[in-house]
Amino acid sequence: MKLLVVEDDATTGTYIARGLREEGHTVDLVAEGREGLIQATSGAYDVLIVDRMLPEIDGLTLVKTLRGAGNLTPVLFLTAMGSVDDRISGLNAGGDDYLVKPFAFGELSARVTALARRPQAMEQETVLRAGDLEMQLITRKVTRAGQEIDLLPREFALLEHLLRRKGRVQTRTMLLEAVWDISFDPMTNVVETHISRLRAKVDKPFDRELIQTVRGAGYRIDG
Amino acid sequence: MTARLAQLWRSMPVRLALLLVLLFSTVSLMGLAASYAVTQNSFETAIRADLEQDIAGFRAAPNARAVALLVDAESRDADPSRVVLSYITPSGRIYGNGAIARDDEGYHIVSLAEGRAEYDGVYLSLTTPLYGGQLTVARSRAQIEGLRTVFLNILLISLLPTVLVALSGGLYLARRSKRHVDVIGRTLDDLTTGDLAARVTVSPGWADDLQRIGSKVNQMAGAQEAQTQMLRQVSSDIAHDLKTPIQRVAVHLDDLARNLPEDTDEGILLAKAQEEVAGIASVFQSLLQIASVEAGSPKTHFASVDLNQLCETLTEVYEPAAAAKQQRLHSVVPDAQITVSGDKNLLGQMMSNLLENAMRHTPEGSEITLTLSRTQGRPVIEVADNGPGIPEDARDKVLRRLYRLDASRHTPGNGLGLSLVEGVVKLHGGQIALLDNAPGLLVRITL
Repeated sequence: MKLLVVEDDATTGTYIARGLREEGHTVDLVAEGREGLIQATSGAYDVLIVDRMLPEIDGLTLVKTLRGAGNLTPVLFLTAMGSVDDRISGLNAGGDDYLVKPFAFGELSARVTALARRPQAMEQETVLRAGDLEMQLITRKVTRAGQEIDLLPREFALLEHLLRRKGRVQTRTMLLEAVWDISFDPMTNVVETHISRLRAKVDKPFDRELIQTVRGAGYRIDG
Repeated sequence: MTARLAQLWRSMPVRLALLLVLLFSTVSLMGLAASYAVTQNSFETAIRADLEQDIAGFRAAPNARAVALLVDAESRDADPSRVVLSYITPSGRIYGNGAIARDDEGYHIVSLAEGRAEYDGVYLSLTTPLYGGQLTVARSRAQIEGLRTVFLNILLISLLPTVLVALSGGLYLARRSKRHVDVIGRTLDDLTTGDLAARVTVSPGWADDLQRIGSKVNQMAGAQEAQTQMLRQVSSDIAHDLKTPIQRVAVHLDDLARNLPEDTDEGILLAKAQEEVAGIASVFQSLLQIASVEAGSPKTHFASVDLNQLCETLTEVYEPAAAAKQQRLHSVVPDAQITVSGDKNLLGQMMSNLLENAMRHTPEGSEITLTLSRTQGRPVIEVADNGPGIPEDARDKVLRRLYRLDASRHTPGNGLGLSLVEGVVKLHGGQIALLDNAPGLLVRITL
């Protein structure tokens, strides 16, 4: 993917850019708002990563201007702020997602991937598969190696979310937002306990683990 | 009603008004009484002078026989309701239009009524011996008696309306100034309970001193708000400024982690360092969030929040985590939908903090209940546990920022959870109470 990072703090900017390049993306790094706006309008980027506080033109104005000009490239805001208020004003300005500093690189990477794939998430599938696991979306039946698995509604939703994003990491906060519609951060690792319950039903009775833990990031189901 | 009257009586302006009315009436009454006394006295003196003159006229007669004739003649013309003449001759014969016989001489007040209409009321009589007989002239005191009625009338038509007008005017002014004082009182209440933006709205109709007090209160509130604002700004600036370095530390640690295997000594140490950095970041995050909540900014996007759903979701999210700690978490949510105007994320964070507190500070086997109900029209959220609870004298302190009970020094948590809860509750105009669940703690939030 081709990504643009607009970040004035050199340490953070370089770190993000290097991490994303290591994952195989093409990354342009810009340190101020005016230049960021020029780059964003000229180049065809898949995702823009924009810091909220920038010299010259701040992140909010940058994205508002872009949206005003009809540019719909997905935007991930980075911010040192992070109150609910900032989050909402960021999303209102036309941002698609929001990440509060300090963040783990895994979280950033997972969210960038999610943003880039957004349009395809609406695919009209009726069956989701991963290895020998099969999920019937209409009858809401889950089987693995021909054996039926009984899931509670929320466990079904959690598994469905991971299956729909097969091969992509889903962070704990992304899962909380998608499955429970919770966008605040619980201190206890509640997602872990839900995943371990799901694993007890989906993975434990079988020899291969489908749900993978990605260190420092989240969870992923491999194909 | 009596309570309101008692309250009115206790207010200073009412007391002043009543005191003034009392003073005014006393002075008026005294004045009236004095002029009554003076007028009566001068009437009395006039009557006495008349009597002396009458007697002197009779003294001019040469003998008893002449006096008798004179009395007889004059009493024929005299109106007995005004003047009564009586002369008792040495031989005992009585002349005049009334018989007054007295043992002693001088002035007397006599009443001649006894069923005869022409002798009206009370008379002042002067008796003197004359040529062996006894001469008495009596003049009616009706004028003086009339004076009393006149003064009573003056009292009725002048003093009473004055008192009434003064009284009602005083009461009106008192109530008005009481209203103005109440405005100042309410503003002070608001300021005390944390609404630093509260101000006294001084209207031009106010008395000068109240206006002065009002604007002084506003000045004080303004200074206080500015100071608090500055303090908040400074602390959130510090939090902001420190977030970028923390981000950099996190970045460097992440970098290290990518090249270090997890299971080496260095790897374990690194994981610990990363955890600590995450902890520091979460403290800053909480401080900034509390600052934003206390500044009231989330109010601008309040929307209707379905509390039933929020309670059920949170119970569901935390249930496996509680079960992993051998605790039982369940919720009691009514069938009827309860909504509140608010910020869904903050309300969720609030409940999540309460549930996490309960899970953290109760031992294995404890029971935690999240209850939603409606009491007197207001939504009530309760989180109850049957753990060790909080001693009564420490319940106020736990709401304090960064305060931790000695007993919980070694459990995780940053001591900001309940401060945020309190901030969110206040933001939504609610109240929080920490109660004894006998055993355990019951946190009741009334929104």
